[in-house]
Amino acid sequence: MDGIPPVSPAPGGPVSRVAALEAELGAVRRREAEFRAKMVHEFLDRGERNTYVHVLHEERAALIKRQQESFADLEDLTRKLEAESARAAELEAELGEVRRSLAWRLAAPLRAAARALRRPAPVPAAGRAQVEGGVFTYYLHTSPFRMYRDARFTLRGWAWPQDGRAVTAVRVCIDGRAFDGRHGLEEPEVVKRYGPQPANPRPGFEVTFETPAGRHSLSLEAQVEGAAWRRIMATSIWCEPHGR
Amino acid sequence: MSDEAKARWQAASSSLGERSAYKKVWDLQARDPDVASLSVAGHTDETTLELTARGFIDTLKSTVGVSPDDVVLEIGCGIARVGRPLSRECLHWFGADISAGMLGHAAARLGDRPNTTLVELSTVGLQEFPGDAFDLVYCTVVFMHLFEWDRYRYVEEAFRVLRPGGRCYFDNFSLDSEHGWNVFTEGARYPLERRPAHLSMSSSREELGTYLRRAGFTDVRVHDLPNELIAATGRKPD
Repeated sequence: MDGIPPVSPAPGGPVSRVAALEAELGAVRRREAEFRAKMVHEFLDRGERNTYVHVLHEERAALIKRQQESFADLEDLTRKLEAESARAAELEAELGEVRRSLAWRLAAPLRAAARALRRPAPVPAAGRAQVEGGVFTYYLHTSPFRMYRDARFTLRGWAWPQDGRAVTAVRVCIDGRAFDGRHGLEEPEVVKRYGPQPANPRPGFEVTFETPAGRHSLSLEAQVEGAAWRRIMATSIWCEPHGR
Repeated sequence: MSDEAKARWQAASSSLGERSAYKKVWDLQARDPDVASLSVAGHTDETTLELTARGFIDTLKSTVGVSPDDVVLEIGCGIARVGRPLSRECLHWFGADISAGMLGHAAARLGDRPNTTLVELSTVGLQEFPGDAFDLVYCTVVFMHLFEWDRYRYVEEAFRVLRPGGRCYFDNFSLDSEHGWNVFTEGARYPLERRPAHLSMSSSREELGTYLRRAGFTDVRVHDLPNELIAATGRKPD
């Protein structure tokens, strides 16, 4: 039945006419109630869709913010590079002048003698042996490729050696200084995607390390089966003076 | 069975400090079907559930009326104790609850009722529903588990979602009845540190009446019901 039923003249007397009108009114009320019930359902459906769209909007906003931060970092780094290039040019010019000077030329035999007597280069202060690279399947939830602005940073991710051996510890080395992390953290989505990892059923890890101002080498390392440390990845990082 | 279920109910209790975390408190109560039934109705067998629900529907009919053309919303429907029989007497029954676990049990009980819809509330309020939609909004044996501010929030929200002319019903137990005093003293006997979050708390006639009037309802009446509950009813102005 489509539309509101027409109000038609009922046969018979006033009583039957009233009864017919009441029946029509009842039908109108029912259709109006059905419409409201349908409206609630549509509202609920839209609510579910809106929730999903809202999540997508938030993710998009987060990505845009990250992109803007990256552009800002890039600009900052470019300015630093330009400043360093200018400084390098100045120093080059200064060095050229020194080398062309009479005093420099007169002292050449002395410098040669000093080079000959020089001791072998000392072992780096930390004395840490260079860690060999390993072949890992890994992912980092918090990217290390960034401008570091705070005093500490926590690197989170998951990793396992591709030869199937167990990771027994994780650390980050900043210029050779080691920061021990936590490993064996749950990563159900990863296991679901890559299948069970018998030696590494909980492949997640997190390592918090200090980020003193300046340029440093960062090396993320895993100890395999309680023995050798292997490098998962390494990069050079730049840390801003804190509070900037 | 009943004693064992009661013991499991005790084990599923959250502490009083978590009373406002309604979703957590009631999801914990809903993990076990018997515990869910006990916590919302006080018993576990289907026959008693049906009987008490029929009693409540009679109360609804005598206070606010129920029509076959009514679009009805129950706030805090739990396992759909009332919704299942009431859906035979109205056009469409919507059941809203903050606990997804309770709604899971409700869905199992409503499998053969096509004119029913269950909605999980994200927080206190009825923000999932549009305004001016329902003929009747009711909330029974729920207020005793809520803080006063949250009780009023639901009254305000009921006003919003009711169509002009729509009716509302809210009940709770009162301290000045024999049953109410027993519930109160039972709660008082809990050691302070073990008071559970779902502990029942009474309402007064003045409290319920004030909520409805302040929210904008007219024809506000407070009823003393035969089962020693008190209920406030009202109508949204046309």
